[in-house]
Parts: sequence; structure tokens; C-alpha cells
Amino acid sequence: MNKIIYWVVVLATIVLSVAASRIWPPPGDNWSDAEKVLLQSLWLGSLPDLPPDPTNAVADDPRAAKFGHELFFSTDLSPSKQISCATCHRPELRFTDGMRKGRGVGESKRNTRSIVGSVYSPWQYWDGRRDSQWSQALSPIEDPAEHGGSREHAVNAVASNRQFRKQYEALFGTVPNLDDERNVNEMFANIGKALAAYERLILPGPSRFDDYVAAVLADDADQVAELYDDDERAGLRLFIGKAACTQCHNGPLFTNDEFHNTGVLSSPGEVPDKGRAAGVRLVLEDPFNCKGDYSDAATHACPELEFARSGFEVLGAFRTPSLRNLEKTQPYMHKGQMYTLAEVLEHYNEAPFAMIGHNEAKPLGLNATELTQLEAFLNSLAAPIAVAPKWLVPPPVADQQGTGQ
Amino acid sequence: MRQNCLFMKRYLLCLLAAWFATSCMQPAFAHGGVVEEDDLCVIKVNYLRGHFKIYQPLIDGHKEYCEDLPNATESVFVMEYLHDSLATAAVDFRIIRDVTGKGRFARWEDVAEIEDIDAVTVFYREPTIDPDVLMVIHDFQEEGHFIGVVTANVDGDETIYRAVFPFEVGYTGFGFWPVIIVLLLAIQFQYFVMSGRLKRWRARSVVAAILLILALPVTDATAEEWVSKRNIYEVSYESSIDPIAINRMHHWVLTITSDGQPVTGADIDVSGGMPAHDHGMPTRPRVTAELGEGRYRLEGLRFHMNGRWEMSIEIEANGRRDTVVIVLDL
Repeated sequence: MNKIIYWVVVLATIVLSVAASRIWPPPGDNWSDAEKVLLQSLWLGSLPDLPPDPTNAVADDPRAAKFGHELFFSTDLSPSKQISCATCHRPELRFTDGMRKGRGVGESKRNTRSIVGSVYSPWQYWDGRRDSQWSQALSPIEDPAEHGGSREHAVNAVASNRQFRKQYEALFGTVPNLDDERNVNEMFANIGKALAAYERLILPGPSRFDDYVAAVLADDADQVAELYDDDERAGLRLFIGKAACTQCHNGPLFTNDEFHNTGVLSSPGEVPDKGRAAGVRLVLEDPFNCKGDYSDAATHACPELEFARSGFEVLGAFRTPSLRNLEKTQPYMHKGQMYTLAEVLEHYNEAPFAMIGHNEAKPLGLNATELTQLEAFLNSLAAPIAVAPKWLVPPPVADQQGTGQ
Repeated sequence: MRQNCLFMKRYLLCLLAAWFATSCMQPAFAHGGVVEEDDLCVIKVNYLRGHFKIYQPLIDGHKEYCEDLPNATESVFVMEYLHDSLATAAVDFRIIRDVTGKGRFARWEDVAEIEDIDAVTVFYREPTIDPDVLMVIHDFQEEGHFIGVVTANVDGDETIYRAVFPFEVGYTGFGFWPVIIVLLLAIQFQYFVMSGRLKRWRARSVVAAILLILALPVTDATAEEWVSKRNIYEVSYESSIDPIAINRMHHWVLTITSDGQPVTGADIDVSGGMPAHDHGMPTRPRVTAELGEGRYRLEGLRFHMNGRWEMSIEIEANGRRDTVVIVLDL
């Protein structure tokens, strides 16, 4: 009798589990329509066309891009002739340097951010203290820890180099009298604009994630099954769901380019970094900002500056970085505080109180498996830069001058 | 006689309790420097108050300390202002070795008596005006008793405000603290009950619940017109991008009516945020033009996350002020 009951229970269990799995299949690759919309929003195919830069008249001039490319790899802009933009923005590391903090003539204050896709951001730097690629490009030249130079040195370096001068004059007209401060500023700004015309071209390429989303959107079951393993799939589900990553890492570049305090620990030997609270003051005062005399934008066309938020709310807040280049852009965070993705994920899982300001993130309560799955997903975002190879190496002319190193 | 005895016993017990309470309280309040309030360490520089915390990030990561520090190591002192004047005050920060012999009871008078204060100073930061937050870092080379002295000079005034807080580095014991915390909690709880806050709190939640229920029909996503809290104004908006997408700067045109009649010459204040995430908007939107017939241009809008946003629009016209909350699901 007992035996019969035993078998009835076993059979019932089997039947019920089969029925349950039919009714509630494991999520796997079955994305709801709402999830598909979210996946599509993160897909590189959703990246809009290159945005125009009204503050930079030569932004889309191919001659400016060529000139900017040469300036980017040239060490002439630094008085020591040792430092170029490429010293810290190394193309092979997705335009970062692999160090906690950038190192030019000295050690700079923060971690070097990638240039890839930065054309899409209304702000540059971790604290958004510059509001265009061209005004950003000027800053390292005068930073005592980076190029260690000055605008006077930079404009004279361009004026006294035959190749540079020719290209400069073709774009911006005759080199002006450099005894005049305004002329120096104007020419200095133009150097930044040429650099920006080059940097605009540095865009991310499609990753395995993008292929996966394309397959999901096309209902290509074979491709969908092949492109992602179970961990990556589960990681993606967490990323857009429980882990709430898309609160900040949204859009096709996985960033909202906004400023958030996420309670990252201060860097050894330093007080906590104020981030945006200080950055917003700097960008508003910056003579090279969108509203400044050297911007090509018509006045009043600078809504980002005009409506920028300041105060306690942005104390200790830093600009969300893209997640598209993680495999080559460690260490992470504004001072390079974390070396591995596991550390970063652990930090967000814990969401400790911020040392200054207010940590916007909430503890996630993810278990160890889920953290591994998220990491697997993040690694699937790895992809090479989508730009012709010639732009990623020093231009021939720079080599001739022996400034390629 | 018997009654008398009972009375005496009670009296003695009360006296004992009072003595115990005051003797324990003393360390917490005597120096008037840092005290615990609602789980926060609060420093009082005279009437200026700040949220005070100390970190030892190299050893203890994000752990916050109020006064005593367990290790002689790099320590970060942070004071967040609870009073606006501190943001414009020149504040200096000094840490001295405790040579007053008063330990936890040291006050400014004791510190002022030290003949050569520089000789016992282990850290000094010149008076600095910092608009955001006061931060200093000091690497303690040895354990021991120290006194922190913070002085603030408000608006170049002659008056100097001071906070003096003795503390120990290499502190491992619990001392009086657990007793004090329990006592403080008890007092706090009693205050909470006695002051009627508990009742008010209850009343508030009932009111909030009623408001929520009342607000439900208003927050209907399909409703085009939003009614203000006191039913004075009706507001609708038209966005320059439709549907509204995240991370795009755009503007709205607000139409404000009162009893169906356009409201002109209104003062409008706009704020917004995500209640679920405790944060506001990435921008500071504002009304830039009145377009006539109760229409106003609201510029500088950008939403940087998907989810529920609330835009609070405060309207004042003809001496009547009211607020309308527009809810958006992005």
C-alpha cells in the first residue's frame, strides 16, 4: 500500500514539474516586448548619427581631422618634447593608459578617460569641467602634470613647424600676431578644434552583445542560442533588471553622460574628490566654453551650460563612463581605485554610504553567482574601435619628425 | 514611621538614578564638540552645526567614526554643513596632542592655557573658505590622546566660533558609550512619545494615505490636464520631443488655466526628480518666456533615467499659490 502511495507521489511530481515548465519556461532567450525595446535602446545600431558641434566650425572638415591626427601624436606641444595626447590616450588601450591616474610630466589628478564615443557627451572629464571635445583637448596642454606647457608654447610650436603652420593656415587663415593675448587664445582654441575634428572619428565598434541583440530583434533562434551562453544571458537579464545598471548605463554607449555619486572610496593620501560640485563651477567660468568668445556657436545656443545643476546634489558625483571598452580600460573609477570588474560589482552590490555627499545607489542583494553572470555579460561588450587603422597609429609625418614616441 | 521609611527609600533611589544618569551623560556633552543626534555625529561650532565624520579608508574602508579612532593611520575628517554660514566662513582645523590632562573633559579654556600651541600641534590647516564641504586628511604617526579644534570666522566678522573635541587614536574599549547610547535612545524615545511626534507621525501617514488616494485619479497617465493640489490651477504641457526620450535636452510649453481661464503673469518655479532614487533632475529647468494665453515656455529639461519622474510646478498668480505635480513614466 505504502509503495503505491510512493509511486503516485513520484509520478504526480514528475507530471506537475513538466506541466509547470511548459507554463513557466525558464526565461532564457524569451525576451518580452518591453525588454526587447530596452535591448534595442542599448544596441549600437541605435546610436544616432555623429552629432554636429556648432561650437567648432571645422569639426567635420577632413583637413582638420588630418591636422588633428598629427597634433594628437605630436610631442611638440609639450615643452619637454616628451608628452603627446597619445601618451595617456593610447589607441591600443582604447585611448586610456592602464594606470590609476594619468601620467604626463607628473601624476595627474584623475584616471584617464577613454576618447571612444566621447563626441556624444555634452560634458568631458569625470567632473564635466569642459563642455566640448575641443575645449577638453586644450586642458592637458596647460596642466603642469600632463603636457606641462602653456598656450603660448603651443601656438608657437604650431607656428614654427612648417607642416603644422601650412595646415593651420589652410583651415583658419594666416597665423596672427602672437604678441596679442586674444590672438593667442584664438589660435590655441583652433588647435583644440583641429584635435576635436580627429577625436570625433574615434567611435566604438559592434560587440558580441550587438550581434546578439540583432539576432533577438530578427527572431533568429539559432544565432541567439549560439551568441550567448547561459551566464551571459542571465547577466544581461540582471543588467536590465534586478541590478538596475541601466539607471545610469543606458543608451547605445551604456552611459547617460550624467553625474552620479556612487560612494566610491577616496584615493589613498587624498581627501575625497568633490567631482561635479567643483567641475560645474569650472565649466561655467571656462573662457573656452560654449558661451565663450572662442566658441563658434551662435549665442544662447548652450542649453547644457545654461541649465546645469550645481550644489550639494552633485557633491562627489562623477560622469558615468561607457561600458563598451571595459576589457582594456582598467583600472576603473575616477581615481582608478578598482582594478577588476569583480571589485566594481561588489561595490555596487554593497552600495556603502558616501564619504561626502549622498550615494544614489542602493544595495542590490545579488549573490555570488549573479555577480559572476553580470561580469560575463559585461565582458561580452568588448569590441575593437570602429575606425580606419590609419587613425590609430601615429601619422607618417609625425614619424619623420621623430615625434611618434 | 514605616511610610517615612518608604519615602526615604524612594527618594534615595531617585537620587541614585539621577546621579548615575548625569555622571554618564557628562562625557557626551561636556566638551560640546561632537555629539550624536539621530544616528549622525553633529559638530557644534557655537550655533553653526555640521555633520562630522572621520574615516580611516586604508584600513576600514567606508566605516564612519564619530570621534575616537581605532588606528594610527591616514584619517580623513569630513564636515558637511548643516548651516549655510559655514559655506562662506573661513574655517581652520587644528589637531593637538592632549597635554591639558583633562582628557575627555578638555574645553577651549584648557586649550587656551597651553603656552606654545604650535609645539603640540600635529596638524594644522590654515583658515579656508570652502563652499561645499570641509575635508582634511592627516596621517597619525602614533596612538594617544588628541584634541581637535575647529574655528570658524563668519563673513570676516570679529567673532570666532569654536568647537573643541578630545578624541583618542588607538581606541579599542567601549567606555561609557553603550550606556550613553542606550540612555540617549531612551530619552529620544520618551521625547518622541511625549512631544506627540508619534501621534503626529501617525496622523501624517493617514493624511498621506488619503492624499495618495485622492491623487490617484490625478496621476492617471492618460489624463492630459493636471490639477494643482488645492484645485486652483489646471496645467497641461506639450513637449518639443514626443514621445519624451531620455538623455535629450528639450523644452515644454505649459498651459495654465484657473477655472478654465488662462492664467497670465504667473511666477513659476519648477523642480523635478525621481522619488524612487532620491535624486533630482540633471538640469535646472526654468520658465524662460511667457507666450500669452496662459502659455509658458519651460526650457532646460533633460531626464537621464528610465522610470517614474515627478515634476513639481509651483505657480503663483494674483496672490494665489499652488503646486501641481506632473508624473511621467519614461
